[in-house]
Amino acid sequence: MNTVSIDFQPFIEYDSNPFLLFDPQGKIVYLNNSAEILLGYVDKKTLFALAMEYAPQSYGFRTAAVSLRYDTFHFFSIMVGYENEELLGLRLYNAPRIKPARHIEKSTLTPTDINLLLEAAITLFKSMHNRPVSLLTDPDLPEVKVDQNRFSKLLRKCFEAFRASNKVEIELKMLLGEHLIVNGKKTSIAQLAMQANGRYAGTDREIREIAEGCNIRALLGENSIRLEIPLLN
Amino acid sequence: MDHFQSRNSTIAQISKGLNLTKSLFVSSILIGESHTGKKSFIRSLFGDLPQVDAADTELLKESLERFDALVIFNFEKIPDPASLPLEEKRIIATANKMPHLKSIDELFAFIYTMPPLRERPEDIPLLQEHFLHEACDTLELDPKAFSLKDFPADLSDNTRSLRRGIYYTLVSKSMDKAQIMQTLFDYFLTHLEGKNGYKETLEIYEKPLIEAGLKRYGSQLKLSEILGINRNTLRKKIHEHGID
Repeated sequence: MNTVSIDFQPFIEYDSNPFLLFDPQGKIVYLNNSAEILLGYVDKKTLFALAMEYAPQSYGFRTAAVSLRYDTFHFFSIMVGYENEELLGLRLYNAPRIKPARHIEKSTLTPTDINLLLEAAITLFKSMHNRPVSLLTDPDLPEVKVDQNRFSKLLRKCFEAFRASNKVEIELKMLLGEHLIVNGKKTSIAQLAMQANGRYAGTDREIREIAEGCNIRALLGENSIRLEIPLLN
Repeated sequence: MDHFQSRNSTIAQISKGLNLTKSLFVSSILIGESHTGKKSFIRSLFGDLPQVDAADTELLKESLERFDALVIFNFEKIPDPASLPLEEKRIIATANKMPHLKSIDELFAFIYTMPPLRERPEDIPLLQEHFLHEACDTLELDPKAFSLKDFPADLSDNTRSLRRGIYYTLVSKSMDKAQIMQTLFDYFLTHLEGKNGYKETLEIYEKPLIEAGLKRYGSQLKLSEILGINRNTLRKKIHEHGID
């Protein structure tokens, strides 16, 4: 099959694995959609340095198995290549996200407007620490079955981690295109993201434990906490 | 204090938080110094829930058996919270201090802190006004005859000392000569002893007399005239009683 006339760029553009092309000075000449998102969490200098470190000695392509974590992004391998002196390519391969099928006992959980609990947790946080909090939420989020007391406690613990931050930015949204298998059924996921200029990590273990008890995945970054909440109904 | 009112912004936040979760199965606790109005505040929000004082262990156990949701006052008085089935219940509680820090952290989703009165200056006139009316009602006095400026705000024990200060001031301001003499009589009856009783108790009369006289007339010269005593005698007494 003659592939010369095929335009491969859209396939790279919409690939979920980030891909970047650098010029010899480290300036980005091209990046695909995934790389654009990744650059919100890691600076281009770091990625250029990575490409330089793993670049093959001569023209060609080199694949290396390296475990890389940038915030919630996790890559298990990279490919670095160049065919001339002008362009250096870097591709990062997403590590598979393991989301095993789960069984959750739903009879003990109560349908809840989690926006309400979130607002109560923000109110408590403001009464204690008087820090500015911005909230971007999805008011159309359906009611979710949760252990109200435990979930509220999880929110309190997460907020406490930002007690000395200048400003806390919170976003609650549906994770489009992602789902979990719970009790044999496809279940959507909502993400509660908290971001600030820094945070305390002393209670991370406790946050993970409470989140686990709530069937929630906690992703704890240096400046952020993300909770992936299965939308059980 | 069975009614609760506040203009404080932190208390407004706490009220908002508690109201948001009022209909949910969420346990909350309000912790703060004694006599800051925690009990009245919680009563005003959760008057429909059964209420029990943790000091009454038997009633607390019985209430936990009977109800799924209840208010517990003085939570710090529970000697061993882990021994009670608190986790299965929705608890709204108040506590004066945090002796069971771990169990409070484990049991309660939301832990609020009640600010003491010294951090709520906007609430002081509100409370003074309330206590003044209450005291005037009790003592059968006309509240219009008094100004809040006449009442020093003693915040050492929050609302308790504030209220006590109002009563003391009100009593002292409304006593007539016969009542003052009766008060002194009662005092001497229990305190008069030793070998130098006359001189020692003279201070009770002389010190307020000179202090009030100086405040009213401004100078020792004028006061000595009013009192009909020698200026040097007055100066000596001022020194003796350590009057500034």
